[in-house]
Amino acid sequence: MGSSKGAIRSGILLLALVAFSLPAPADITTERSSSILIFPKVIATASSPSAPANIDTIIQISNTSNSMAFAHCYYVNAAPLDPSSPPSASNPPLCQEVDFDIYLTKQQPTHWVVSSGRRVDTSDKTCGCTSTGCFKDCFDAGLDPGGIPPVSDFFVGELRCIEVDSSGAPINGNHLKGEATIVTADGDASKYNAVGVMGLNTNTNSNNGDDILCLGGASSGSCPTGAEYNACPATLILNHFAMGASDPVLDELLGSSSSVDTDLTLVPCTQDFQNQIPGRGVIQFLLINEFEEVFSTSTTISCWATFPLSRVNSVFSTGILGTRFVQTRMTPVPTGDGVQSGFVGVAEEYHFPPGSNSGSRAAANLHGEGQNQSGDLITIMGSF
Amino acid sequence: MRPGLLRVSLLLLLAAGAVWADVASDQAGAILVFPKILVDTSNLAGRGRLDTLIRVSNTSNQPISMRCFYADATPVCSTGQGSCLWPNLDCTGTCGVPQCQELDFVVNITARQPVAWLASQGGKSCSQSPPDVPCFPLTPDWAFAPNGQTNTGSLIPPVGQDPFIGEMKCIAVDRNDVPVERNDLKGEVEIVRVDVPGGGPEVDVESYNAIGIPAISGTNNGDNTLRVGGNLCSGGPNAQKVCAGAADCPGGTCVSAGEYAGCPNVLILDHFFHGASDPVLANQGQNGVPVTTVLTLIPCSEDFLNQALHTTTVQFLVFNEFEQRLSTSRSLTCFDERPIWSIINTRDEDRSIFSAAVSGTLTGQTRILGVPDKDTGHGHGLLGVAEEFRAGGGAAAFNLHFGGSRPQGDLIYLP
Repeated sequence: MGSSKGAIRSGILLLALVAFSLPAPADITTERSSSILIFPKVIATASSPSAPANIDTIIQISNTSNSMAFAHCYYVNAAPLDPSSPPSASNPPLCQEVDFDIYLTKQQPTHWVVSSGRRVDTSDKTCGCTSTGCFKDCFDAGLDPGGIPPVSDFFVGELRCIEVDSSGAPINGNHLKGEATIVTADGDASKYNAVGVMGLNTNTNSNNGDDILCLGGASSGSCPTGAEYNACPATLILNHFAMGASDPVLDELLGSSSSVDTDLTLVPCTQDFQNQIPGRGVIQFLLINEFEEVFSTSTTISCWATFPLSRVNSVFSTGILGTRFVQTRMTPVPTGDGVQSGFVGVAEEYHFPPGSNSGSRAAANLHGEGQNQSGDLITIMGSF
Repeated sequence: MRPGLLRVSLLLLLAAGAVWADVASDQAGAILVFPKILVDTSNLAGRGRLDTLIRVSNTSNQPISMRCFYADATPVCSTGQGSCLWPNLDCTGTCGVPQCQELDFVVNITARQPVAWLASQGGKSCSQSPPDVPCFPLTPDWAFAPNGQTNTGSLIPPVGQDPFIGEMKCIAVDRNDVPVERNDLKGEVEIVRVDVPGGGPEVDVESYNAIGIPAISGTNNGDNTLRVGGNLCSGGPNAQKVCAGAADCPGGTCVSAGEYAGCPNVLILDHFFHGASDPVLANQGQNGVPVTTVLTLIPCSEDFLNQALHTTTVQFLVFNEFEQRLSTSRSLTCFDERPIWSIINTRDEDRSIFSAAVSGTLTGQTRILGVPDKDTGHGHGLLGVAEEFRAGGGAAAFNLHFGGSRPQGDLIYLP
């Protein structure tokens, strides 16, 4: 009897230790309403070396609550200083923000095209049918969410929206959801869900309403009441094709060898919009191929970056990895000054048929794991 | 063990349990749900020739097994003449209710290994596979992992027919097929088309993340009835009845009964109303390119043991950009895929409440609820995925948003 009690107790202890050793779930979400929405990849460009021609982005945001919702949004233009040249250390991202406010009535959806924005115009014609036919070009019809500026004529970067109250103070409402659709001139489209960061203690609104938003982490001088929002993930996980590997479906259906490339977009969770200090950090990549062989490499990101995986290192190529499919785990590590920013992102795959450089794109949200224990800060511009 | 240590252990266990994750498509889970698997290599349905690539990876550094179930929901035309699959809905008779016949298999995945297979061809050892077809490389007759782990025992059959439409659920199990509490599986789907109709691109790719249902630590009894969320009264006259809170359990308490996190109470879909013109293409001089949204819904509950089909009433609340609200409902049995305009029983797309012609605005928000009933043998949670099609262009799939949790849990019965 005594030994069976001991076995039960040992079992409980083992269970407890196992439960604690399980990887913690990440706190960001791509499918729950949140207080901060991050659209990691927003493009509006006619043509440039770093972006294909004629691409634009549709933003959709909805209020999922039965009360009014307000948000303060920031476009971050991360186009290279010289947009005619590819981004590099000597041609860093501009990282200039433009901000605006939106307001949504209960359960209201809204949308805009980033190249044109959305004007407040009550004369926008609604869709409908008459005896002479149907009109379905009802662009911008509906309750305008506020004046939304167009982005500059060559824009690559992110959009970040922060839920606020009617006075403009940040709140933990968790009322917002969003999607971005990247559309090319040939009608191809890829779509992803905005990355949501949920506010904590929504019932009591633990947000102190100041201009420093605390995402995870412990109490500090900048975050006297501790975390106001969930933390960014400790690790991002991407399943992808090795660079240059063929798409087995296209090979099957077209009878010859295709190719797949993957572009990764990463943005630091930490951003200082007040002082225009971009978030930055080092990302360690851990690659595991189908043979369970492990490779690693790293890169530094400041403000925002989008890149084909091959630009990080040739280790992403099928020639080195030796298999078609790879799991890559991305973990931020502290920089020389001890800063460790969390990151969020999105991936896009380009599938090219045999002998063609015109492919189809598909976006995918990244998986997250764990929490960035050091926390992240978003510093917004207060009124003056 | 001293009582103090026991208390510490229990506190640790409770603390660990307190960080339950929600059902999510961006985190690893113990159950993976792929709401839509599609094969049509001959273009009978009119979307182009297509196949689905399924990718799964183990996010832990320990090997894991999963038991997967295809549910074949391909509708059959009563006359055998014509198609019951969108968009070629030209069946000359009636389209039967999907039977969701299950087909199951086991996959053994080594530490952090990514694996993939084509729905049309299945997967087997690389030593038995044709060249360039995704396969399992870590078998004794092909290659060894650095630590000796293998994919031995993995064999995935091709889907039962072509064309095929249906869903797949995969459950983390041990080597004896017993469900385990390991939130280590993540997955993605790519639906790849060629010969896209209507002058579309040469190839088109759309992808979505599998929905992960996490296990709740310390709750799984290892049997073949998986309890997905839900609360039950413990004690009192309402013992074992569904409860939303303490008030429902006089003389007892309302406790979580789930072995896995519950399916969401509401699904939320932001979408273009049917037929609305794409504003980006209009800006670029291509006026009147309509957008069509296709919605696929499946139940969280599934009886693979008895192949019993249950019907759920699905309520739709539709909001346009004027905050005007419309609603409708229809029933769901096993699997449902349709352009949103046809949620309404009408032959005229422009008379549907999901049409831009009726809603008046370009985009809308639709909230989707599986209505619960008193049958406790199954739940009414729903999961799904949406796709946008641009006329003459490509398609893009995306995951739905979730809202809230349900007092009534869902049940998955395994054979």
